[in-house]
Amino acid sequence: MPIDQITLDILWARLIATTNDQAAALMRSSFTSIVRDAADLAAGVFDRRGRMIAQAVTGTPGHINSMATGMIHVLEKFPIDTLKPGDVIITNDPWFTASQLNDITITTPVFKNGRCIALFANCCHALDIGGRGLSADSRSVFEEGLQIPIMKLIDGGDRVEPIWTLIEKNVRTPREVLGDLHCQITGNEHGARQLLQFLDEFGLDDIEDLADEIVTRSEAAMRDRIRALPDGTYRYDLTVDGFDAPLTIKAAIIVAGDRLVVDYAGSPGPVPLGVNVTLNYTTAYTNYGVKCALAGDIPNNEGSFLPLTVTAPEGSLLNCTFPAAVGGRHLVGHFLPSAVMGALADALPDAVQAPGFDGLWDTHISGTDRDGRHFSYTWFSAGGAGAMAGKDGMSATAYPSGIAGVPAESIEALAPLVVRERSLRTDSGGPGQFRGGLGQVMEIEVLTDADYLFSGLYERTRHPAPGLHGGGAGQVGALRTNDESDLQPKISTMLSPNTITTLAMPGGGGYGPAHLRDPEHVLADVLDGYVSVESAARDYGVVIDEDSGRVDEAGTAALRAGMAGES
Amino acid sequence: MSVRIASDIGGTFTDIVVVSEDGATFEIGKILTTPRRPDDAVIAGVGQVLDRLDPRPDIRNLVHGTTLFTNALIERKGAKTAMITTRGFRDAIEIGREHRYEIYDLRIKNPAPLAPRRLRFEVDERVLADGSVRKALDDDEVRALAQVLMAQGVEAVGVSLIHSYVNDAHERRIGEILAQEAPGITLSLSCDLVPELGEFARGSTVLANVYVKAIAETYLTRLRSRMTGELDCPAPLYILQSDGGLCEIAEAAQKPIRLVESGPAGGALAAAHYGALLGHPDVLAFDMGGTTAKACVIADGAPLIATEFEVDRQYQFKKNSGLPVKVPVIELIEIGTGGGSIARVDAMRRLQVGPDSAGSEPGPACYGLGGDDPTVTDAGAVLGYLDPDFFLGGLMALDLDRAKAAITDKVAKPLGLSLMEAAYGIHQLANESMASAARIHTIERGKNIASFPIFATGGAGPMHAFGVASILRCPRVIYPLGAGVMSALGFLTAPMSIGLSRSRPSQLDQMDWPEVAHVISEMQDEARAVLGRTIDPGDITFRVFADMRYVLQGTEVRVPVNLPSFDASQRDALMAAFETTYAEVYGHKMDAPAELISWRVIAEGPKPELNLKRETGRGAGEAVKGQRDIYLPAAKTMQPVPVYDRYKLAPGARLSGPAVIEERESTVVINGPARIDVDAYSNLIVGLGGTC
Repeated sequence: MPIDQITLDILWARLIATTNDQAAALMRSSFTSIVRDAADLAAGVFDRRGRMIAQAVTGTPGHINSMATGMIHVLEKFPIDTLKPGDVIITNDPWFTASQLNDITITTPVFKNGRCIALFANCCHALDIGGRGLSADSRSVFEEGLQIPIMKLIDGGDRVEPIWTLIEKNVRTPREVLGDLHCQITGNEHGARQLLQFLDEFGLDDIEDLADEIVTRSEAAMRDRIRALPDGTYRYDLTVDGFDAPLTIKAAIIVAGDRLVVDYAGSPGPVPLGVNVTLNYTTAYTNYGVKCALAGDIPNNEGSFLPLTVTAPEGSLLNCTFPAAVGGRHLVGHFLPSAVMGALADALPDAVQAPGFDGLWDTHISGTDRDGRHFSYTWFSAGGAGAMAGKDGMSATAYPSGIAGVPAESIEALAPLVVRERSLRTDSGGPGQFRGGLGQVMEIEVLTDADYLFSGLYERTRHPAPGLHGGGAGQVGALRTNDESDLQPKISTMLSPNTITTLAMPGGGGYGPAHLRDPEHVLADVLDGYVSVESAARDYGVVIDEDSGRVDEAGTAALRAGMAGES
Repeated sequence: MSVRIASDIGGTFTDIVVVSEDGATFEIGKILTTPRRPDDAVIAGVGQVLDRLDPRPDIRNLVHGTTLFTNALIERKGAKTAMITTRGFRDAIEIGREHRYEIYDLRIKNPAPLAPRRLRFEVDERVLADGSVRKALDDDEVRALAQVLMAQGVEAVGVSLIHSYVNDAHERRIGEILAQEAPGITLSLSCDLVPELGEFARGSTVLANVYVKAIAETYLTRLRSRMTGELDCPAPLYILQSDGGLCEIAEAAQKPIRLVESGPAGGALAAAHYGALLGHPDVLAFDMGGTTAKACVIADGAPLIATEFEVDRQYQFKKNSGLPVKVPVIELIEIGTGGGSIARVDAMRRLQVGPDSAGSEPGPACYGLGGDDPTVTDAGAVLGYLDPDFFLGGLMALDLDRAKAAITDKVAKPLGLSLMEAAYGIHQLANESMASAARIHTIERGKNIASFPIFATGGAGPMHAFGVASILRCPRVIYPLGAGVMSALGFLTAPMSIGLSRSRPSQLDQMDWPEVAHVISEMQDEARAVLGRTIDPGDITFRVFADMRYVLQGTEVRVPVNLPSFDASQRDALMAAFETTYAEVYGHKMDAPAELISWRVIAEGPKPELNLKRETGRGAGEAVKGQRDIYLPAAKTMQPVPVYDRYKLAPGARLSGPAVIEERESTVVINGPARIDVDAYSNLIVGLGGTC
């Protein structure tokens, strides 16, 4: 029976609201602060065919989109009509869901009149999963912790005790991890209850017709957007520091009618470290990039993903095969949206953002404070995002990750650290008609009498974020110390108590030729210290008279005439 | 018999309420707000209401609230503002959270800091987290800076130094020097306003405060003198703060940022008051106006209070898209659904309502002011819920044909719907989005909304509350009489109060208890000194709270602390109090060590009594104005229902739905079966599903 328009609108809104409630119930009760405060989770509802129909409007791109494709595998293992009321299914298989053992997916079937009509699932970052602890240092997934294949955690209402016991024994923080599993189950139950309630209210027995409408309409909307792009193959290469050698991500976007394929052929092979990416995580961040540029308003569901295909050679870095190590897959995956944007730059010049710092700077310091107590502290910091047509890049703002930073006062209150400086880094934003976002500088001192361990996972210290459409690259990141200690990105180092470290984070790429930037905007940037007088002249062709604080019109015209000729 | 007077300056109207202590006198006034000189409307409005009373009563006190300062912040019409901070930290308020508040929109922006980078200055001083001085302040450096500030034409300076919440000596010294060297510059110190950990939120708060401080001082001083001079009313004038407590003018002028949410605070106080009166300690206050709806949870007789809110949001309904302001404030959610919300068909051929709004200009299509987008108000007119000839009590005629044309062209035709189907779809989807926002808000606070009655106010609230309650399965809806002046009425239930805080981050097991005892008594002394100017110190009640969390968690819960003393023997009791609160909010507790970030003291005077006139029984007969066809969803057609005049419905009357009850500023629409009772205070009490 077809659903009338308004009922469909209401049910669709209800279904999304239900997944929002599911996520809220889960976040509210989670034992893990990254879930509660940074919404590092995904929650959604699936139909009998395993198609994701609606998803909570929250979370991080890596979880959101990779969970969407996972249900097919769950239903392959447990066909829909073999499921019983009271079943709960668990897995953390990186190749099926979020590409990291810490991300646990819990699925709960929903029954009406004895028939399974839908599945609620959520994927959540567990505080610990055993192994080496979350790191990129492993050589294979076996070192990264407990692997949980797709299996029943609760069977017809009865806890499957062996698996609970096994998890309890294999993680460092069993109380929190098992607690979070309960929260994940509760979140699904919460969603299921509301779904059944409103199906009753509207006199419906299942969501099949609703699911068809949602998928069909979303798919049509997505295909309309793709069809509006000129057919062709759009290529872009994005190079990042990598580990032993630089990594060049090669993206080719093939637009053919209403289909869009992103192919990573030619990208690097696997690396013997924990930064390999499973195809579904590659797909997740790729689709996120496509969505940002093309269809931010189209809701996430099977339909909006159908016209998009992501491919990468089997066994390569971006489609790694078991048992590759994947614990630090975000260190590569976070660059994929920029690769997509770069490739779409000609087709969608007004909708794409130039590449930015992209990879979060992750700092870990541990040692002994002056009272002899051990301390260990980790935090994330952001560099500059890329610029886009009509908008300067955001300074010191995370993209594509959704993680938030920490106040310096919190860092100092909780660890024997002194943040001596935290400021925006002049001239670090890529010059352009629209300027790249600025990176930030953090200067860190440790209040200790003993040597301390400093580890940073830092990117773009050798390969800058490029600009788009004539915009300049952002500055690369840099590490410095006050005593010439040898500090390298991605290598843990013991430093002496008096060593003060300086992290200068990369800026974002600029957009459009810098000599087209409005001289008054260049002047404002100089007065605010975002851009130096020298860079204004050299990069932007704008001469600032420092005494009057004004633009020297004649000098600017002369400089810019030369620049326009060059380009 | 003396009276108390409340005045509330809203965006469109300034409302006045005059109530005598026995409730026998209850007069209200409504006058257009005068944005350039807001006190003009207050003086005129209060004067008009007083003129109606003969003999003129004694005035015991005046309570005032205003949104004036919010507008100055949003429109960036405050002072030329500079910031002074610790060396290395002038960008903390610009770096902010390093976080994107909306993940799919690349064009999001953060609000610009109120002091631009060129006016943010650093001084070479440093205090560490334990309060020790690592680098002493150099007075000469500050003196030189004062000259720079004056040379730059700076009008206001916010000072926020690193760790000043634990050692404020350098901030205070800077304050002293600037007062001497640059007496013309308005000043705020973060240690006076928000001595709490977090350089971004604290700096942002002190800048927002000093940015509007001169405006507040000028305005409040002028209002005071005009009250005395022009209205011959020297009675004490108190100001409502965002957390629902009152303060004196001098305090308000120092901390104007504490006042910006006074309007919603008044509405929440009124809902709490009526809830208590009617035996409902838990209520969902629901207010829907022209552009937004607001919902606030009243639990155990009091509105929930948050410790932070935002101004100048770039995405109106997105958390973290504005400038954080860390002051106590009534906790409410704002939803992008109002009478002016625009209905449209989206890329999925879905009908969507809001959050963009036609505002008041051009406004809904039916206003006839040039708007041609269909809105929630247009749908209400087409469905017969609004009488085109009695909108705003007949002040404005609605053009029904324009409403029909807009809905037909932009919704009905594109979706292949009839006009009525489309109009009811708009109405229903507006209700859906408000209901789901309210549901999530209550889930996040561990409350079960299905047990809460709804208290409906605002111009559009009474038209939608019944539908919203049906979706949420709430048991009943309360429609107070005079919903249009509820906020001002709520002002009259507010006690004198002050909320203070001090950050002393520490693990529970390493806590410096003598320091804790010291900061608690310091806050109590400060509260006594401030409140003691207006009330007997013996009448002050103190409540102590601790912001606590498990070690290394990201956010704290606010724990009510009721300890006989503050010393190490209380460690276990404090832990138990934390676990109780944690379990209430999150549903479980953990076997983990706890830490404490901030202590809070709320000091309050006695709650003033607000007596409302009670009446008994006359019945409903003469209140029937006639009949009107309205859309009934169960029947899916327009059918005639009785229309009542709210002002003629006497206490004791009992009606049944469907029905329409009209008052000047709003229309109560009951479009399904329901029992409707008029209580002794002339509230309509509507029981859903025909039961009460």
